[in-house]
Amino acid sequence: MSPLRRFLRTPEAVAGAILLGALAAMALSASLLFPGDPQAIAGPALLPPFQDWSLPLGTDRLGRDVLAELFHGARTSLAVGLAAAAAALAIGAVVGTLAGFADGLVDEVLMRVTDAFQTVPSFLLALAFVSVVGPSLGIVVIAIALGTWTGPARVARAEVLSIRERDYVANARAIGMHPLEIAFREVLPNALPPVLAMSSVIVAAAILTEAALSFLGLGDPNRVTWGGMIAEGRTVLRTAPFLSIVPGIALVLTVLGVYLAGEGIVETTAVKRGLS
Amino acid sequence: MSLLAVSNLTKNYRRTGKPVAAVDDVSFTIEPGETLALAGPSGSGKSTIARLVLRLIEPDAGRIEFEGSDFLVLRGAALRARRARLQMVFQDPLAAFNPRATVARVLDDPLRIHGIASRAERPRRIAALLERVGLAADLAPRAIHEISGGQRQRVAIARAIATKPSLIVLDEAVSALDVSVRGQILDLLLDLQRQDKIAYLFISHDLGVVRAVAHRVILLNAGRIAESGDARAVIDAPRSAIGRALVAAAPKLNRAKT
Amino acid sequence: MTGLASIRDLTVTYRRDGREVTALRNINLDVVAGERLAIIGESGSGKSTLALAVAGLLPASVRAQGHIDWFLPSNFGAKAPPSVLPDISPARGEIAPSSPRSPITRGAKGEPSEKLLISPLAGEMSGRTEGGAKDRQHFHFCPLGGRDIGFVFQDLSSSLDPVMTIGKQIAEVARTHLGLDWPQSFATAKTLLERVRLPDPDAAMRAFPHQLSGGQKQRVAIAAAIAAGPKLLIADEATSALDTIVQAEIVTLIRRLVVEDGMTLLFISHDIALAAELADRIAVFRHGALIELGTTRQVIDAPSQAYTRTLIDAHIGLDADLLLNRSGLPA
Repeated sequence: MSPLRRFLRTPEAVAGAILLGALAAMALSASLLFPGDPQAIAGPALLPPFQDWSLPLGTDRLGRDVLAELFHGARTSLAVGLAAAAAALAIGAVVGTLAGFADGLVDEVLMRVTDAFQTVPSFLLALAFVSVVGPSLGIVVIAIALGTWTGPARVARAEVLSIRERDYVANARAIGMHPLEIAFREVLPNALPPVLAMSSVIVAAAILTEAALSFLGLGDPNRVTWGGMIAEGRTVLRTAPFLSIVPGIALVLTVLGVYLAGEGIVETTAVKRGLS
Repeated sequence: MSLLAVSNLTKNYRRTGKPVAAVDDVSFTIEPGETLALAGPSGSGKSTIARLVLRLIEPDAGRIEFEGSDFLVLRGAALRARRARLQMVFQDPLAAFNPRATVARVLDDPLRIHGIASRAERPRRIAALLERVGLAADLAPRAIHEISGGQRQRVAIARAIATKPSLIVLDEAVSALDVSVRGQILDLLLDLQRQDKIAYLFISHDLGVVRAVAHRVILLNAGRIAESGDARAVIDAPRSAIGRALVAAAPKLNRAKT
Repeated sequence: MTGLASIRDLTVTYRRDGREVTALRNINLDVVAGERLAIIGESGSGKSTLALAVAGLLPASVRAQGHIDWFLPSNFGAKAPPSVLPDISPARGEIAPSSPRSPITRGAKGEPSEKLLISPLAGEMSGRTEGGAKDRQHFHFCPLGGRDIGFVFQDLSSSLDPVMTIGKQIAEVARTHLGLDWPQSFATAKTLLERVRLPDPDAAMRAFPHQLSGGQKQRVAIAAAIAAGPKLLIADEATSALDTIVQAEIVTLIRRLVVEDGMTLLFISHDIALAAELADRIAVFRHGALIELGTTRQVIDAPSQAYTRTLIDAHIGLDADLLLNRSGLPA
């Protein structure tokens, strides 16, 4: 059975894929359906949802279209979530592989650095980094990655420690392969599956961290973010709760979708590995 | 001059604090084109010697001279370059290759690393290597895990001879194979030895095979040499206690002579 | 000569990468009570699948057809020490179907029962309920893995629990199958460790598997396998991971235990010479089929199949012709 078919047979994976697909469609179609600046004033302020069908989800305190903001916010959430997770996994895999493979002093130094990062709460680290360097999309991505690469690094190192004792690594040394080539061509690809299994959790956490940073006003000010929308809505929470609830629901569904789809992928690849 | 001269080789392992000698003051030589067998029970140190000779692990004491120069002083790039002359075939051909590798990649590595053939020329060289070990050239794109155990061990031998080594360490290289395949692989190894004057350090627990393919044998016990000499003479009339025990324990097929 | 088990039309298939692979094809084989039967073959011959099928250990995803009839009269155990053998009574046999067992294993006490195609998959299907319920009326005895069949695996590292003491692992088998309390079980375990000639059984009782050598672990595995006084001992490549000297010791141990306890031995091996040293009869398997069956002397001295002859000729004994002679020592 093909991996895709096996994936589609798990209901939670399908649910996750549908949610993620909807999110991706929102992000991709944002500039087509809502061309122009989503932060421009579109109508009267604080218009409740389902009143005016040209503005289906109503408007916020400044009269901006909530639906347009939601679509454009999906872009930010998805971009930051994926980029931060990719960066965290890449840093973690490389650091973990070097530490596990190099042994001795290099291992010691790299793992103490990892310890140092791990002892600082990752959100505080991101918060401090953004407040010092200044908010922009790239900085937010780096800030989130800084706090999350340690998990993948530890998993990668543990895996590498087991793989480097295998015969095929000895064989690669025996033919005179360079240690760096052994580490990144022979060892790392085989150490990756358990590291990648963490990706769904990391992407979900990154999306939430981005939202939290934006909520605290440390997101990229030139972009619409769901966290920023919730923060905006907070000031009028009693009169117009929908302004916080709508992006809140979007956030919950996105994190749920990422998690379910990620688990589905891990499950299907695990089954495949178990059979072979 | 000997091809390989090992003298006073010692390697200790630390087990629960106190060091245990895995290899204890072992000396031997191998001549060009010769097969020297290392035999002994498990834990006798034969695989450790193989790994020491290949410098996959470092000895605590002793000297290794290979092709007339000190092999233990080599470091980094010089050591990697020298490895072309000294190759190894492992017991389990499936474990000895990257699980993601194809036959072509396995054979491409030594050619590329030692600059033996240009990128354009390599596919032709890979096909020639496969033919040399009795495999079809169209096996190249197949994944290592798709081919049979016997084919895999032939690929391992092709990889070992790709760099034209003068010595190949065969660490239980035929022990995991089906008996019907084992004979063919032994024939192949002996053919290659005859054509290219390759020397083998043949590690095996099977005295029957050792007697059939090796010129000389060293019987090891607990990291030390118990007995050594002409393979046939030693195995037909062992003098050491471990030699007699090994001979007595070998399964015998008492056939009615036909 | 009494039969112990009768394997009829046994076919085992499983799926790999979407393809049906037949591991065993129409195997018919009678196991005689008290004999030492060697099953030999190369990789992919199906010999290990047969061992698992007989022991009822085939994984649920595997499809098995045919059946195995067991002939275990209640007085069978008389030959073995009564202290370690449980009573096999029809009453006990009748409740056996509720315990974990191989769906292809079926008890029979001489009386003919209709041939049913029973597969693990079919066992879960609704259509089988009626036939299955009816079938159960005929059970008199159903062998239970661990109690009636002892199994020794090749893999030394995975057949013992790494975090349980040796003594407890063996005592647990005795407790489960013989209904002893813990002190009795531990006493039995110690007796068993003495019987498998483990040096210093007292220390071994408290040891963990990683503290033992390969040969010692296999002795422990054998002690656990015979703890419940099984009638059949299956050794699946039990000596292949060991060196020659330890292998010879384990073979000697198995031979002695089989005689002492009156067990039947199913010895699975790729090594025809080793099998010939131990077995009364040899069954040669190839590509999932039983191609030759006979007494050891018949099979070794006058094999009827060319393949068997190939296997015998491929054996490189201490008296083999030197392969080197053809190449000669280079000057």
